Amino acid sequence: MDAHLGEQLSALVDGEVSGESLDAAQAHLTACPECRAAYDALLRIKRHAGALDDRPPERDLWSSIAGRLAEDATVVPLAPRRRRLMFSIPQLAAAAVVLMSVSAGAALLVTHAGGRAASAVAVAPAASVQPMAGLASAKGVESYDTAIRDLEGAMTARRSTLDTATVRAVQQSLGIIDAAIRQAEAALAQDPNSMYLNTHLEHALGRKLEVLRRVTTMAAAS
Amino acid sequence: MAASGDQRAFERLYRLHVARIHSLARRMVAGDGDPDELTQDIFVRAWERLGTYRGEAAFSTWLHRLAVNAILNWRRSEAGARGRIEEGADAELIAGRPPAGGEGLDLENAIAKLPPGARQVFVLHDVEGFKHEEIATMTGVTPGTSKAQLHRARMLLRAHLER
Repeated sequence: MDAHLGEQLSALVDGEVSGESLDAAQAHLTACPECRAAYDALLRIKRHAGALDDRPPERDLWSSIAGRLAEDATVVPLAPRRRRLMFSIPQLAAAAVVLMSVSAGAALLVTHAGGRAASAVAVAPAASVQPMAGLASAKGVESYDTAIRDLEGAMTARRSTLDTATVRAVQQSLGIIDAAIRQAEAALAQDPNSMYLNTHLEHALGRKLEVLRRVTTMAAAS
Repeated sequence: MAASGDQRAFERLYRLHVARIHSLARRMVAGDGDPDELTQDIFVRAWERLGTYRGEAAFSTWLHRLAVNAILNWRRSEAGARGRIEEGADAELIAGRPPAGGEGLDLENAIAKLPPGARQVFVLHDVEGFKHEEIATMTGVTPGTSKAQLHRARMLLRAHLER
């Protein structure tokens, strides 16, 4: 096994590792219980630190502050404020809908403009390990499984509308993701409480779902 | 308005923000200084500099940044005066027993026992949410040093909390 991850653990916790380094670190984490335990512990500490409650001082400090303010009554006048754009909630909601429509349209254009190019469904590697709020519950995994089954059914039904190169690329992508899912599930069987492995599994399931969604969208549009 | 010299308005701002500013001071100075005194200094300084607040960011953000700078300045002058060596504190943290209390209290106490450099980076990064580049600019170290200090702090906290 490679050397332990050391300082890279903190970089992983902070989502600062990407590309080949991330792939190597993820492979090491999956295989090394020691580093996985350290990763989980550091992630817990980070989350806990970010949620610490603020406490006021035990004694009221205002009277002392007010006394010092009285000694220094000179305050420089406020500088003229720049005009700030303000939006109402309905305006923001409308903007969000427009943004989502544009994003969805752009996604369709990208997949469609590429014709049936295999690259349209190539899976982009995860940019970083994204810590998730909790462990991948059985219910959560089950809901992924249900969605994946539905999309797989839809993809099979529309398979004839896709060209051979696209189908091959899809199968290749799904094969890689399925291998990652199997690897994560096997490691989880040994270490079911690992936050890293649970996150890793959810991430892989999410990637599979995304590929299937894109393929069925493409098949429906062709 | 507080900016026009109204102390009552400024008192309302004080009441609204004192918990956050005092907690920041307490975590950053730990046993090395008096967080009450620092908190007072920070609010007096904020009063004196209200005219420089341009409304481009939330007041809380402006005040928080002012507080961080004030605390870092205090730490620099304090470190210079004492000529303190930080390295010895590792052993102290590991040797100390975790106090009884909730998980939050345990972490608060463990943070207080970190070596000053590691504690400073940990509080700024993990508690306050600053990025390494920002911490590097504020504290005069490189981002790499900030990352190393953060990892050191987390590992020390882990060792302390898991005993």
